[in-house]
Amino acid sequence: MTKESHTKTSRLAKWLDTRLGLSYPLLRPVPAYAINPFYWLGALPVVAFLIQGITGAIMMLYYVPSPNAAYTSTQYIFDRVYYGRFLETVHLYTAYAMIMLAFMHMMRDYFVSAHKKPREVMWVVGMIMGFVTLGFGFTGYLLPWTVVSKSATDVGVGMIDALPPQISSLVSFLVIGAGGEATELLRFYDVHVVVLPAVLLALLTIKLYMLEVHGISEPTGSKKDTKQIAIFPDVTIYLMELAAMFGAAMLLISAVFPLVLPAPYTPALASQSIPQPDWYFLWVYQILKISVFEGPGLPLALGMVTLIFILLVLLPFIDRGGSRAMPQRPIFVTFGLIFIGEIIVLAVWGLLTPGQIIPIGQAVLVLGGTALVIGVISVTAFHFFVGRSKHPGSSKNMTAKLNALGTTAAFAIIVSVGALAIGTSLSSFVHIILNGADFISVVTFVLGLSTLAIMIVASLFLLYMSDRTTGRLRMRITFFERIARSWK
Amino acid sequence: MEMNKSLLSLLVCLQLISTTFLWSLDASDVVSEVKFAIFLAVDLLCFAMVAYSYRKLKGGLLISPRWMLLGSLGLVVLLFSGLFFP
Repeated sequence: MTKESHTKTSRLAKWLDTRLGLSYPLLRPVPAYAINPFYWLGALPVVAFLIQGITGAIMMLYYVPSPNAAYTSTQYIFDRVYYGRFLETVHLYTAYAMIMLAFMHMMRDYFVSAHKKPREVMWVVGMIMGFVTLGFGFTGYLLPWTVVSKSATDVGVGMIDALPPQISSLVSFLVIGAGGEATELLRFYDVHVVVLPAVLLALLTIKLYMLEVHGISEPTGSKKDTKQIAIFPDVTIYLMELAAMFGAAMLLISAVFPLVLPAPYTPALASQSIPQPDWYFLWVYQILKISVFEGPGLPLALGMVTLIFILLVLLPFIDRGGSRAMPQRPIFVTFGLIFIGEIIVLAVWGLLTPGQIIPIGQAVLVLGGTALVIGVISVTAFHFFVGRSKHPGSSKNMTAKLNALGTTAAFAIIVSVGALAIGTSLSSFVHIILNGADFISVVTFVLGLSTLAIMIVASLFLLYMSDRTTGRLRMRITFFERIARSWK
Repeated sequence: MEMNKSLLSLLVCLQLISTTFLWSLDASDVVSEVKFAIFLAVDLLCFAMVAYSYRKLKGGLLISPRWMLLGSLGLVVLLFSGLFFP
């Protein structure tokens, strides 16, 4: 390159920079510790969303959203369009990945307390984005108009009737309209390709703005690397690396497990098939199949699921203070582990028992047992590992530690059996209210309450026994006794 | 350093080969869907490895030649599996 052309290039670059502000540091740099895939779990669903946008836009060229043509047009994409089946497969698997990664992102943020001050609103926006992602799954599932997708969507839409009449008629009008299946499919299609992408993009903009304002959450450990890395080119290249690996994984999974189009929807076929939702709604499906939630109990189940979602959205306002480090949050970490365990158990259980009504006793045993096992393991692990790390190398305290470990395990068992007892007595109480009193439910209710009472007494006894070695409880009681005496 | 340069050249070559095969596929053939996915995956993985190497070398860090070599071999195997897919 000659000196003259170099000067011209420099002048052009300077001209562009002055007008467009290319060298202006628009985005804040990223701390060096954030060059880690766990810090970008939220970026990967965006990559999945982009892939879905591209594959979905191509499929839109051929898809016809009407009950008579939806299946045939999907079949046309499969059989006639170049790489059509591949497009459908990639679209489906990236949707699955988007949902899974969004869930992983939520749970990771929960465990590292990324929802705490000042990122409360980011969490709330992220949760709404999660619901929108589930909305994509729900609306997209119907579009191929297969017997599986239509039957499962009918079950989902049928739940609208369990809402209070005023809300039910409004939601029903908004979701399925008054024109039957044709209107329903068209609305699902419109929501899937226009409304939800627009809402998700708007929410993404808000979340990225807040990420820019607050920055990436700090690590919870004591070591904090203050080195900063520019967003361009280093972080951008890192994100492209992650995106390339994610894309390659999606392509290879699509190549190995190509999608097979199920049979088309006909009322005759639908009457023979057992409706079952896609895997990400299986846990809700399994809750709805528990015997007490059948028929008149459905609003109760829907209320319970809604309550879980509301609690998740409001988490930053519930889990506010204290340390962000996991070792200092045993209760919330244990709850988080139980939540993941229950979701997995419910989903797998739902997959294995399609259409079967689950007796309440079985549900309490399985769900309570899961909570018990995870609770005991988590509490024991916390006490053993976190307790040990506080006093490294202290062999003198080992006996005391083992005693304390035994006490903790006993407490964990008492709390878990107590939780089972609460579950049993509550479920039998609900059963009595909804279906009237029968011998078995009354006995279950009494047994549940008795177990709970025994567990309360046992916990008090354990408190008394542990106090004999530490004396802390006695000290506190003496303190309050002194205050009471001084009042007299 | 020389080893790294050789490996990076190998990766770029692999990327070129997979891209060439990608464009030579018969899109009307159902089997070519799988081949297309494999070649595009090789392309993306090569890009990821080159980008990783660039980032590490720019930061003055060493790349483990053993892992890079293993990764490259894995990509060659993947490329061949695409070529000989029935």
